[in-house]
Parts: sequence; C-alpha cells; structure tokens
Amino acid sequence: MLSHIRRTLSLVRGCSGVCRIQTSTNPARSSSSFSDLTTASDSGGLVLRSQSTDVYLNLALEDWIDANLDLQQRSVLLLWGNQPAVVIGRHQNPWTECNLPAMRKAGIPLARRRSGGGTVYHDLGNLNLTFFTSKKAYDRQRNLKVVTDALRRIRPELDVKATERFDILLNGHLKISGSASRLSRKSSYHHCTLLHSADRSTLSASLRPSCPGILSNATPSVPSPVANLVDHAPALQWEELLDALEHQYNTEFGFSAASTLVNPADEAAFPGLSRMEAELRSWDWTFSKTPKFSIQTVLDLTDARSARSSAQLNMEIKSGLIESCQLDVPTDWLPQRLIGELSGVLVGERFCGHRAAAAVTALLRSESGELQDRLTNLCDAVVRAMG
Amino acid sequence: MAMRAALRCLSTNFSPRLPQVSSAAQVSATRLLWRSGSLRTLSTSSALSTALKFTDKHEWVQVEGGIGTVGISSYAQGALGDVVYCGLPETGQRLEQMEEFGALESVKAASELYSPLTGEVTEINTELAENPGLVNKSCYADGWLIKMTIEKPEELDGLMDQAAYDKFLKSLE
Repeated sequence: MLSHIRRTLSLVRGCSGVCRIQTSTNPARSSSSFSDLTTASDSGGLVLRSQSTDVYLNLALEDWIDANLDLQQRSVLLLWGNQPAVVIGRHQNPWTECNLPAMRKAGIPLARRRSGGGTVYHDLGNLNLTFFTSKKAYDRQRNLKVVTDALRRIRPELDVKATERFDILLNGHLKISGSASRLSRKSSYHHCTLLHSADRSTLSASLRPSCPGILSNATPSVPSPVANLVDHAPALQWEELLDALEHQYNTEFGFSAASTLVNPADEAAFPGLSRMEAELRSWDWTFSKTPKFSIQTVLDLTDARSARSSAQLNMEIKSGLIESCQLDVPTDWLPQRLIGELSGVLVGERFCGHRAAAAVTALLRSESGELQDRLTNLCDAVVRAMG
Repeated sequence: MAMRAALRCLSTNFSPRLPQVSSAAQVSATRLLWRSGSLRTLSTSSALSTALKFTDKHEWVQVEGGIGTVGISSYAQGALGDVVYCGLPETGQRLEQMEEFGALESVKAASELYSPLTGEVTEINTELAENPGLVNKSCYADGWLIKMTIEKPEELDGLMDQAAYDKFLKSLE
C-alpha cells in the first residue's frame, strides 16, 4: 500500500510563479525524472499538479503527456492554472473571438490549443483539469461527474449540473466550466476550466471581437453568462477545491494516486517539451492556423476639413496574411493610383495593425499636402479596421 | 474488365521496368498481343490500384494515376459524430507516413488525422469548408479530404485491403 506522500503545490493567486511547497517526507523523490514517477506508481492512475503558470508550457505539458505516457493502462489527471491568458480552440479565429488590441495593452497573451471547442479566459482564479485516458476509456460525462460530485461533497448547497454540451452550470444558468477535447493516435484528453475566482471584468473585456465585419467559417464560441464559485460559496479555498477534486477522481475511478508536482520547464524530466512549447508559442501556430476569412467593413473617412466621407474595405485573409485587399474610395477624394498602391503594399503582410502601419509609412512619405493628409486618414482607418 | 484482368495476369511475368502506357493503349495492345501471339511487355501500374486501402487509423487511400486520394472510413465518421470543421493542410505540404496533417472537429472532439503515406499534398477538398458534413454523408466519395503524390509506393503494401480492414473492425468490437 502506497503511503500518501503528498508533495503538493499551492497555486497562490496573485503571485507570479513563486509557490509554497509543502515539505515531502521523502526528499529523495522530490526532483526525480518524470519517468521514475510513471513506473513507480502502481495505482493505475496518476494525479499531477503543474508548477508552471505559463499557458504555453502547460499546453505543451498536455501534448507531452499525450505523446509520451502509455495511457492504455493508466489514466492521468492534471491540474493547472495560468497567469492571465486567452485560449482559443483549434479551428477558431482570434479576431472574432477576442479583443487582441486590448489584450496587447494589458499584456495578456493568446494561445491556440490543440483541442476543439471555444474561447476561454484563464487567470490564477481559474482551474484547468485535464483527464487523460485511452480512446476506449474516453468519457467526458464521467469526468465532469468527478467535478460535480467533488463540489457537492464540499459544498452540498451548491446547485451544479453538467449539461449535454459538457458545460457545468451553477443554478441552472451560470457557466462555471467549459470543455474541449482531443483524440490522437491511441489516446485522448478531455480538459475543462473551472471558475473559482477569476477576474470577470477582464474576462468580458478580453472575450470580445477585435474588429467588426469579419466573415468566417471558423468554429464559433457559444457565449454564456459566467459565475465564480466564490460568488456563491465565499469561503471555498483554492487548496480545498484541488484536494476535493483529486480525492473524487480517485474515488470515481478506483485509484489511490498521490498528488505529484511536475515542472514542465524541466527539460530533463520532460525531454522534447520545449520544442512543443516553442511551436505553441509561434505566430505560425497561433495566427497562421486561422481558417481563411474575409473582412467587409465601411471605413469612416470624415475628418475636420472634409465633408462626411466613407470607403468600403474588402480583405481576404489566408494563413493570417492579407491575400487580397480592395478599397472602394470615392475617386474625387483620392486618385485610383494611390488606392492601388496602398492595396499593393498591404497584400502579403500579416493581418496586424502594427505591420500594416509599418508597411504604409514609405508610401505616406512619398506624398505631400492634402493628398498625404487624406492618405494618412485612409491608412489610419484601415489599420483601425484590423483591430 | 475481362481484358484488364487478362492484362494483369500477363503483367506479373514481365519485368517491372516498363514504359507508361495509357489504358486505351493497353487495351488495344492486348488485342494486338492475342492476335500476334507474341509476348510483349506492358505497363500495368494504372490497372493495379483502384481498390481502397485502409490504415489502422480508419483512413482510406485510393490511388489513381500516381495520385492518392485520402479520406476516412464509414466506421470513423460514425465514431466521430457530426463533423463541424475540417482542418486540412496546405497544398504543397510534404507529409511523412503517420505524420499528423490536420484534424476533424466534431461535437465529440478534435480528432487528429494521420497521413497514410509519404508524399506531397496536391489538392484539398475545398467543398468541405462550406460543407464539412460531407465527411459524414459521403465519406468514400464527395467527403474526400486530400490528394497527395506517392513518394514510396511500397508503403501501400503495408496497408489493409477491404477484407483485412473488415476483419480489423470485427476485432475491435
């Protein structure tokens, strides 16, 4: 019988990455390689808590576990939390799902995960749970039962229920958890969020479109009103929640797994993880993977001097790059030649306000007087339309 | 059809280094063969593989004119549920056998797609952008996913034919 050697990590909210670690009764095991843990455990299940609060490292950790652990005989529960970040689903469009300019200002990174589903906001008041199993044992409702049973055990007064869409609702209508999953060669993972005490105002501010007029067939999110558990159970501690979930996981699946800390930044323990992390962090994966989309919007060109004027912007964006750009501007306002040059300069650039602004500077410098003013006005409007 | 079968039988005795001949030319050449009574070497590569081959990931590949069309089997589309999005690669992308090349998103999950062969993507099914449900409705025809070149034809030998795949499916029950 394994004694429960608990090396648990408190994900201390509001504190950037510095964590209190309870002392282990067996110091020799405290920084073992991960493979030692997987062979040593004979419980049939593994319960892990990530030491990292970096969204890319944690997403890479999921991929690493999926690719490297034999999940045919063993299941894994991973608990993790991130510094503020927005995470979009595999086939989503970040420009429709989140407010990229606001996120940039606030230093909130964007990550695209490998599972499907919709967009979520993470911060240290949100807990992520990932259930790893073989494909045969893939059962999302059973996993969600672990969450609802755990909550009911520690706070029986809470009305929590999993839906057919694999959300968990509080009081029948407030979303506290959303799910997504990935099926790969031999294994699967189902992960879900759990709102304990997230910053709801930043959440709403982030989960808004970057710019209007986008036409896309990317998978859309289903927006829902959300709630934090602490709003309805104010004394619920983070650590209490994690303990209850781990305990319920063991109960539900008949395991006796001890909770174990893992550090995805430890290359020795997780060889190859940093390569996965680099890919997840790359522009190519995050933005270039966006399904082809177009923008059709009207630009307001009215300025202090000229009468009310507008232009129509039509852009096609493929792999995150401007594939085509059509500007319908009143011909008496700017010569067609300049419109053509502007479009030409933008085609091939990343769909990004910064890049567009940089790309047009040379063109702007080549003009002067009123033409330059109007061109500047037009360029500003185009850059604004790109979010 | 009988002519083609006859041609196939003959060809197994011939040297593999044969000139490429079109199907029409093959048929008329065969007629010539029977009339003249002499043995001639003829290409059979295009007659060889119009049958589906399957992977253990429930993907099928059908080869024609040196190009493989790839899709997922009926078993796979049933297991997936309604496909809501097809995440496919770009044309020109080179794939190794078993390399992940995209994913099908359904209400069930995002399911990875694995390349059945080594080769280069020549075409993707653009119909699927507007109509991802074609993968469920017509998985062997209109719901095809990609077309690719076949860099290593010997990889085809390692794939299952219909009978072997049917047996494989039974073993999963």
